[in-house]
Amino acid sequence: MLKLIQNEWMKLWSKKATWIMAVLLIVILLANAGITKWIESTSPAPESDWQEMATMDMMMYQDQLENSDLGPAQQEYYEGQAAIAEYRLANDAAPFKIESLQQQVLDGHMMLSLVTLFTVIIGAGIVAAEFSQGTIKMLLTRPVKRWKILTSKYITTMLFGLVFAILTFVSIALFSWIFFGTGDGTFLVWNGSEVVEGSYWAEALKLSALSLASTWMIGTFAFMLGTVFRSSSLAIGVSIFLMFVGVQLVFLLQDFEIVKYYLFTHTDLTQFYTGFMPISDITMTMSLIVLAVYFLIFMLISYWTFSKRDVTA
Amino acid sequence: MSNEKIVEIRKLSKTIGKKQIIKDLNLDLHKGEITGFLGPNGAGKTTTIRMMVGLMKPSQGDILIGGKSIRTDFEESIEKVGVIVENPEMYKFMSGYKNLLHFARMHKGVTKARIDEVIQQVGMQNRIKEKVGSYSLGMRQRLGLAQALLNNPEFLILDEPTNGLDPAGIREFRMYLRKVARENDVAIFVSSHLLSEIELLCDRIAIIQNGELIDIKNVNEHQQSRYYIEAKPADQAKQVLEEIGFTVHPHENGYLIDTEAEHIPGAIKLLTAAGVDLYAVQPHRTTLEDQFLEMTGGGEIAQAHTK
Ligand SMILES: Nc1ncnc2c1ncn2[C@@H]1O[C@H](COP(=O)(O)OP(=O)(O)OP(=O)(O)O)[C@@H](O)[C@H]1O
Ligand SMILES: [Mg+2]
Repeated sequence: MLKLIQNEWMKLWSKKATWIMAVLLIVILLANAGITKWIESTSPAPESDWQEMATMDMMMYQDQLENSDLGPAQQEYYEGQAAIAEYRLANDAAPFKIESLQQQVLDGHMMLSLVTLFTVIIGAGIVAAEFSQGTIKMLLTRPVKRWKILTSKYITTMLFGLVFAILTFVSIALFSWIFFGTGDGTFLVWNGSEVVEGSYWAEALKLSALSLASTWMIGTFAFMLGTVFRSSSLAIGVSIFLMFVGVQLVFLLQDFEIVKYYLFTHTDLTQFYTGFMPISDITMTMSLIVLAVYFLIFMLISYWTFSKRDVTA
Repeated sequence: MSNEKIVEIRKLSKTIGKKQIIKDLNLDLHKGEITGFLGPNGAGKTTTIRMMVGLMKPSQGDILIGGKSIRTDFEESIEKVGVIVENPEMYKFMSGYKNLLHFARMHKGVTKARIDEVIQQVGMQNRIKEKVGSYSLGMRQRLGLAQALLNNPEFLILDEPTNGLDPAGIREFRMYLRKVARENDVAIFVSSHLLSEIELLCDRIAIIQNGELIDIKNVNEHQQSRYYIEAKPADQAKQVLEEIGFTVHPHENGYLIDTEAEHIPGAIKLLTAAGVDLYAVQPHRTTLEDQFLEMTGGGEIAQAHTK
């Protein structure tokens, strides 16, 4: 299996397109950091001090808490945020500025949708391309069962996503360090009963890992479409379309029970830690179960079609 | 030639939709023997070959390679098989070497030394580091042969392998296949339209038409010796020949008689004595092409045959 993955990895990086994606990712992140820097230097935000902001935040959070239809995860989130804001004011503990290495790293997980995009492109093409190139017949006439070949391709796709996620993080850290340097401030977390100082690296890692669930699911979906339809453009098109429209559908469906079983209600696992939950009465456990079921269905369809299909390409 | 059986095709059938493309095909292949697979367009050669290498699943029947079933022991049965199905498609964005490395990794025990050896054998050592996209068709065919030989196959299966080779290339390819068959005792199964090609290359020919195996024959089987005689007046010549006791078949502008060389001078004397003018007397060999066309009825594309 290791040799098969090695093969897929070799093919992946022998293609120019893969390198272009890597360069593109880095350029986008560089531009993002550069633009943030540029905006800061041309029109500096009015020096509203952070105390004022924290006071406003606290009021807003408390407002939210009085709102009765908060889910348990949101309840906890707003309580925590309000407590943190209060703590900051009481102890004169400033947060990081947006233009600092620390805050950029903390927000880094939002950039991972780029990784999803590239993973979709790779996952959609990794099987489909073998068919369109005609190399599938060279691949399947080896003493290796079809499911093993498909597995190596799937693992390679996910490995690609992981490598790109790491690349994203390293780039963000590097560029924000170059442009902004490290800022002063403290990172605070609410551990359920009190506010304590936390590690922003650990928090960033947690949020990124949760964000990657969406990369994983949409990547798997694209992989399935590419395997079933043997057309990478179709698979890329449908996956990217769903990536944007799928989430919107959550709002349309929100009054129906079915929304709880809908994939895109659950793909964003960071929602349990960022308070933004379109459907508030779901839990992390529920999301993980739903995602696992979708994953199994996607995999089953992929393996079934790939192993049964007559190759006439 | 050990004549040991290596491949057994048993009651092989393939139905796609309502169309039965392959009908109850039985065939054995032996070590060291080159078998040609001949048939008009659409006869089912490619379909049969795809089933033999696991690209398509037989609807019925089975294929045993080295005693292992392609259906139930795929990995074991395909282990010692080398395959070229139609044009060998390679990864154009990688070098020839990386392509070979890629396929070598999918077999057990193919070393770097073996890769180099195969590259030498097909004469690609000067261009092997270049991208396949820059290769000519002939070079791709060579690379295709190289990948089929990587695992020291006991059975080589080739669908239209000489597509795109120049005459020298075809000749070289033929010599090479003969050599592999003899020296390594490899069984070779090769499909082609090129009758002359098959005739020069193969020991044995299986002919398929409309999905049915209609004949298996040995190429160098002793042929009945025949002579072609053209004479005028034709009727009189025929009469004389029949009187001598020959069976006479009309052919082109004259007749064919089945006889050995020693009877020819006598026949000529009798014909001349009877006042017949002789225009031609020559040995007549039926080519494989004649036989093929005769058997398959002109070689037109097989009709769609619904069951
Ligand atoms: N996927 C398919 N669906 C329906 N019919 C098919 C399919 N594949 C092949 N056929 C039919 O099966 C028959 C045999 O095709 P095959 O490609 O095996 O012929 P062939 O002997 O290799 O012909 P050629 O000499 O032209 O290469 C043809 O009539 C073809 O139309
Ligand atoms: Mg064919």
